[in-house]
Amino acid sequence: MAAGRAGRWFLLPGLVFLFAIDLIPLAYSGWVSFYNWWLVRPRDVRFVGLANYARFADDPEFTRAVVVTTLFTVGAVLVEFLAGLGLALLFAQPIKFLRPIRVLLLLPLFVVPVVGATMWRVGVLNYYLGAVGLGPLPWLSDPRLALVSITLVDAWRTIPFMFLVMYAGLEVLPAELFEAAAVDGASRWQSFRHITVPLLTYIMLLAILIRGMDAFREFDIIFVLTGGGPGTATQTIQILNYRAFGLGHMGEANAIGIVTLIIVAVMCFVLMRAILRPQGARS
Amino acid sequence: MRISRSFAGVAAALLVVLAIAPAADAPASAQGKTITLSMLAGYKEDVLRANLPEFEKKTGIKIVVDAAPFGDLYKKQLLSLSTGGRYDVLFMDEPWIPPLSEFLLPLNERMKTLDTADFIPTTVASGAFQGTQYAVPVDPNVQLLVYRKDLFEQKGLKPPATWDELLADARALHDPAKQQYGIAVTASSDIQTALYMLLAMWSYGAELVDGGKGSLNSAAGKKGGEVFLELLKYTPPNVKSYNFADVNKAVQLGQAAIAIQWASGAKPMEDKTRSSVAGKLGYTQVPKAVRQTPMRGVWTVGIAKNSANQDAAWQFATWLSGREFGQAAVTFPSATSAIHSPRFSVLKDPVTKAALPYADALLASLQITKERPRLREYADIQENLRVTAGKLTAGELTLEAALKEIDAGTNRILGK
Repeated sequence: MAAGRAGRWFLLPGLVFLFAIDLIPLAYSGWVSFYNWWLVRPRDVRFVGLANYARFADDPEFTRAVVVTTLFTVGAVLVEFLAGLGLALLFAQPIKFLRPIRVLLLLPLFVVPVVGATMWRVGVLNYYLGAVGLGPLPWLSDPRLALVSITLVDAWRTIPFMFLVMYAGLEVLPAELFEAAAVDGASRWQSFRHITVPLLTYIMLLAILIRGMDAFREFDIIFVLTGGGPGTATQTIQILNYRAFGLGHMGEANAIGIVTLIIVAVMCFVLMRAILRPQGARS
Repeated sequence: MRISRSFAGVAAALLVVLAIAPAADAPASAQGKTITLSMLAGYKEDVLRANLPEFEKKTGIKIVVDAAPFGDLYKKQLLSLSTGGRYDVLFMDEPWIPPLSEFLLPLNERMKTLDTADFIPTTVASGAFQGTQYAVPVDPNVQLLVYRKDLFEQKGLKPPATWDELLADARALHDPAKQQYGIAVTASSDIQTALYMLLAMWSYGAELVDGGKGSLNSAAGKKGGEVFLELLKYTPPNVKSYNFADVNKAVQLGQAAIAIQWASGAKPMEDKTRSSVAGKLGYTQVPKAVRQTPMRGVWTVGIAKNSANQDAAWQFATWLSGREFGQAAVTFPSATSAIHSPRFSVLKDPVTKAALPYADALLASLQITKERPRLREYADIQENLRVTAGKLTAGELTLEAALKEIDAGTNRILGK
C-alpha cells in the first residue's frame, strides 16, 4: 500500500510537464478567447464572453474556411491512405529489386515542408508536364485546381509516412495465416480481404487518425503555395487564424484556435472509439 | 631622459585617442552600445548588411539584425512591441506607423537636428501620425510605370499618360503566341493586387476611406475597378498566382512590355546579369484619369519607446537616412530590391542618375505621391481590401459585390 502511494509520486514529473506545456497554455488561450484584445490598443482590453465565437456563426468566410479545411483533410488523407497502402502492399512482395529503393520512397519526409512547397511553387510539375506536351496547367492560379494542387503536394510529402506505418504493420503479420489460406485455396484478394485488412485495421485507423489531425492543422504548404488564394479557394481555418494573429486580434485568434482544437478532438474521439472497439465488434 | 618620458606620455595619450577614435562620431551615451534592428529580410537586407560594418566602425555601436520576410515583418514588430519586446530600431513600411505609434518614440525634438530641407517633403510626412513624427524616412518607395522602349519604338507608341492609353498600349503589345504580354501586374490574393486596384480607383477619384467611412463603392471606384479588370486581359497567363517578385521576373525575362511596379523593384531590372531587358526600359509616372496618384510606400525607421538605447538608436536612424548611406545604397548592386534615398541631394546627384535610369521618374513621382489612409486600423482595412480583391480576380465576386464588400468590411473595422 505504501509502495503504491510512493509510486504515485513518480507521476509527478509527467503531470508537471503536462500542466506546464499543455494545460496551462491551453487554459490561458481559452481565457484570452473571451476578450476583445487588439494588440494595437493595449489599454482597451474588454471581456466579451462568447462574442468572438458567436461571430463565427454569422461569418460566411469562416464557414467557407471550415468547408475548405474539411475538403482538404478528407482529400489529402484519402489519397495518402490509398497510395500508402498500395505502396506498402507492393513493397511487401518478395521482389528483390524493390527493397533497396524503399529508402528513396521516404525522401520527401526529410524535406522541410516550406522548402518542398517552394520547390513545387516554382513549377516542377509543369516542367514535367511540358516535357510530355501536357502543360503548363494553372495549378495554383485556377480556383478549381488550387485545392487539388495543395492536396497533391501534401500527399507527395506524407505518402511516405502512410507507407512506412502500413509497411511496418504488414511486416509483422503472421505468415502462417497466409500460408494456411493459400493451402485452403484462397485467392490473393480473399487473403487480402479476410486476413490483411482485419489484422491491419488498427494500424490503418491509427495512421488515418495521426494524418487526419495533422492535415486539419496544415498551414505551411498552403501558405507557401497559395496563401489561401486564389480568392478564398484554399483559405483554411489555419490561414484565418494566422491572419487574426498577424493583425494582433488575440481574442479572435485564440477563439479560432479553440474551435480548431474542438473539431480535431471530436475527430480524434470518433476514430479512437473505432480503434478501441473490441476486435469482434469490428469485424 | 626627460625627453623620452615626455615622448612616452604623448605616445600613450595618442594610443588612448586612437583607441577611442573609431567611436568619435557617436555621442558618449551611444558609444559601445548594441542595438537590435527589426529588418526586412531579403528585399533591402543585402544593401544594409553590406554597409553596416562602416557604421559600426565609425560609431562603435553594434547592430544586431533580426530580419523577417515582408509578410511576417509587421506581425513580428506588433507582437514584439506590444509585449515589451527586444527591438530598439524598427524598419517599417509607412502604413504600419499609425498602428505601431503607441509603442514608438516621438521624434519631433530630435528631428530638429536633421537637415530636413534636403528630404523630399512627402517622405518626411510618411513617418508622421496625428502631428507627431515617429519615424525617419530611409527608402522612398512609390509606384512607377515601366515600359519597354524598344517595343514601343517598333510599334510607334508613346509611353502612356492615361489609363485609356495604357489599355490601348497593352492591347497593342499583347502577343501571347510569342510569349509577349501587354502588361505585368498581380491578380492573386497577394497584397499587390489590392494596391494595383486601389491605384486605378484613386486615379478616377475614389477614396478607400472618406469622412471616416468606406467609400470605394462609387462611380469612380467602379470605373477604376473596370479598368483594372480590363488590364488583366493583357497579362501573362499565371498572374492569378503572381506576387511582387513575379512581376519583376516577367519584366526581367522580357515577357512583359509594360509593368506597374514599386521603385524598389526597378534596380534588378537594370542588372545585366539578371535582366534580359537591362538598358531597354523606360520609366515614367503611373497613368492618370481625373488625377495622378502614384501610391506612396516609404520605408522608414523608428525607435521603440521602451528602448534602453535611444541615443544609439537615433544615431543609427540618422545614419540610415543620411546622405552617405543613401549614396552608397543607390549604387549598390542589389540582387532583389533596392534602397534609394529620401534626399534631394542624392536623387539629383549625377552619380545616382547614372546608376538609376529611373531616378527622375522616382523623384517626380515622390513629389506628387498619394498616401494611404493614416489610421490605426489601416492594416485591417488593407487586409480586407486584399482578401476582397483576391475574390474579385478569382471570379468569386462581381465588381459591384466586391465594392460593397470592401466598404462593408471597412465600416465594420472602423465601427461605423
